[in-house]
Amino acid sequence: MFFTYLRRELRRRRKAALVVASGLALGIALVIVVNSVSNGMGRAQEKVLQSLYGLGTDMTVTKAATPASGDAQRPRFRFEAKDDDSEDKQSSDRVMAQGFTTLPASTVTEVAGQKGVSSAVGGLSLNVVKVSGQFTRGQFQQGDGGVEMRGKPGAGPRYRIEGGGADFDVNMYTVYGTDVTQPALGPLTSSEITSGRTFKTTETNAKVAVADAAYAKEKKLRTGSTVTIKGATYEVIGIATASSGDAAANLYIPLKQAQKLSGEKDKVTTVYVKATDSQQIGAVKSAIRKNVPGTTVTTSADLAKTVSGSLSTAADLAAGVGKWLSIAVLVAAFLVAGLLTSSAVSRRVREFGTLKALGWKSGRVTRQVVGEAVVNGLVGGVLGIALGLAGAYVVTAVSPTLQAQLGGSGGGPGGPGGGGAFLAGPGRQAAKSLEVALTAPVSATTIALAVGLAVAGGLIAGAFGGWRASRLRPADALRRVE
Amino acid sequence: MYELRGVTKRYTRGKDVVHALDGVDLTIGDGDRLVIQGPTGGGKSTLLQMLGGLDRPTSGEVVLDGTDLAELPEARLTRVRSENIGFVFQSFNLIPTLTAQENVETALVPLGIKAADRRERAAEALKSVGLGERLGHLPSELSGGQQQRVAIARALVKQPKVLLADEPTGNLDESMRDEIMDVLERMWKEHGLTFVMVTHDSALAKKAPRLATIRKGRITVTEKTGA
Ligand SMILES: Nc1ncnc2c1ncn2[C@@H]1O[C@H](COP(=O)(O)OP(=O)(O)OP(=O)(O)O)[C@@H](O)[C@H]1O
Ligand SMILES: [Mg+2]
Repeated sequence: MFFTYLRRELRRRRKAALVVASGLALGIALVIVVNSVSNGMGRAQEKVLQSLYGLGTDMTVTKAATPASGDAQRPRFRFEAKDDDSEDKQSSDRVMAQGFTTLPASTVTEVAGQKGVSSAVGGLSLNVVKVSGQFTRGQFQQGDGGVEMRGKPGAGPRYRIEGGGADFDVNMYTVYGTDVTQPALGPLTSSEITSGRTFKTTETNAKVAVADAAYAKEKKLRTGSTVTIKGATYEVIGIATASSGDAAANLYIPLKQAQKLSGEKDKVTTVYVKATDSQQIGAVKSAIRKNVPGTTVTTSADLAKTVSGSLSTAADLAAGVGKWLSIAVLVAAFLVAGLLTSSAVSRRVREFGTLKALGWKSGRVTRQVVGEAVVNGLVGGVLGIALGLAGAYVVTAVSPTLQAQLGGSGGGPGGPGGGGAFLAGPGRQAAKSLEVALTAPVSATTIALAVGLAVAGGLIAGAFGGWRASRLRPADALRRVE
Repeated sequence: MYELRGVTKRYTRGKDVVHALDGVDLTIGDGDRLVIQGPTGGGKSTLLQMLGGLDRPTSGEVVLDGTDLAELPEARLTRVRSENIGFVFQSFNLIPTLTAQENVETALVPLGIKAADRRERAAEALKSVGLGERLGHLPSELSGGQQQRVAIARALVKQPKVLLADEPTGNLDESMRDEIMDVLERMWKEHGLTFVMVTHDSALAKKAPRLATIRKGRITVTEKTGA
């Protein structure tokens, strides 16, 4: 009888059931969308972080920030202004370690030896500044026009310098020296080889390079081309396309070559660390900090805190407003469902009173009411999940673009060493900015949550109605209301 | 066998106290038929509620076959209702979403009878009130007289000892009144019921062999010997 009665009620009072169900559906749909968008934000942030140091990296170790190390390490360019008016081009490459700070390569093994560290790999990020051009000595000439150099105002002849100065390009790019023996960790893992091949593990000191796709396009490089860095020629063996659209470096070369180019023998700028257990990152971080002095350990969580721009604004919105909005709507939906169920019971006072007069136990009547409410909740859940999936699909289809600035608000970026070098990642001194498309992936957990909420909503509505029904007296069968 | 002694029912609404029943003493033998009449608000429905175990008196005893319903715990009172008492209401009180047959079945649900048996007995009960062809009809698809006949079938399908009817013809037009009264009379005789009926119909009341009149909660019983 329970199911017959339930079915009949739901079928014949479809409208009332739908009103309760749609209220719940709205709340549940909102939860799904907010949850999925939050997931999407998380993924977008992850993508941003990955573009910096590749997949699987749990934290990075860099040299601890030290007071500015003076001018000694500042790059110097030396050009000679030639006497003759030669058209010869001169060029000069400056190869510097990112942030001018390095760690000894032994740090890598030291870090790898820490408890909870699954693997550690060192890398050397280099900035290359190439200046090339012509320089001619200026000539003094008397006369009008041109650039005027005034002597004492109003007196004396006029002179001008003609043709003096320089005509040169400054070309900056980034090179990352990668440990080819450990291809599973490091920045290159966030790129996909779209042409040619990646490094062989034996090419520890080979004169080969992998070029980032965007840089390769700009410089018209392809597999088989050569690039020259500070006089050394490298064969491009592969083109790597960054999965997030923004690469960690323009060129990748074997670590040893990078060390040679920059004169940083047995040095690295960053150690990429993978923990054995992603839940234990905090413990690993403090172990490294304690046992490997003079280093800064940055976890992805630390880094995520420095993400700013519309991505983080949106993420904050999803986490804040979105969360509270969906909680508020959900609570409202539960309440409305409860009140509607309760008022539906009030309209059926005589019906339930009659059943009690017929000898139905109070519990049986209550169960009937709760059963109806739970089914309403489930119908609401199904509608809500459909609506939520549609909403999430729309967000993914539209996929609004969000900007992410990394380290922009942090203390260190751009500064020498420390977190700055990490935050900026190989190849960037300043805060890094990139664009990611927002998606709203609906996870199984989200669906499970929605189903749970639907059942909870039904039970809450049922509790309201059931409580009301349980208080009805059999004598209510004789009520004249209705 | 009903024995009511000093049954009083007071309703309190704020400061107002209504004596719906005021010291009612009444005996109804097994298989008896009692008609109750009286002015509106006199306490007729209240008395019927006491007899049916739908409510408890403020004081006094309502003894049915040796058990005082006034003292019975709720669960046992519910059982007495489900097993021994059939109710027919003025406004039929059918479940609007259930078919005629399902409505009759609801009376058998608390008795723990299997679904197949329930259906069969419900169909039979409906046949006996002349609705064998209307098992699958909803109340809204039946006339008032037919609805009341479904309600009578529902009251009697469990074969109770007592049939209580509160103005069973009150919502029906004249042609249907006689029809329903005929059905009730036949059922009373066939099932050997103790039958208590409240009515406003003075013609009906006049015919009754035993007539109780309730005014302001007080009862007077007139017997018509040899009627
Ligand atoms: N639940 C209640 N709360 C308060 N007062 C009530 C309640 N039920 C009945 N009464 C009062 O008790 C008195 C008797 O009511 P009852 O329903 O028994 O009268 P009745 O004789 O059946 O009248 P009618 O012929 O109109 O059906 C009335 O004054 C009524 O207002
Ligand atoms: Mg009445």
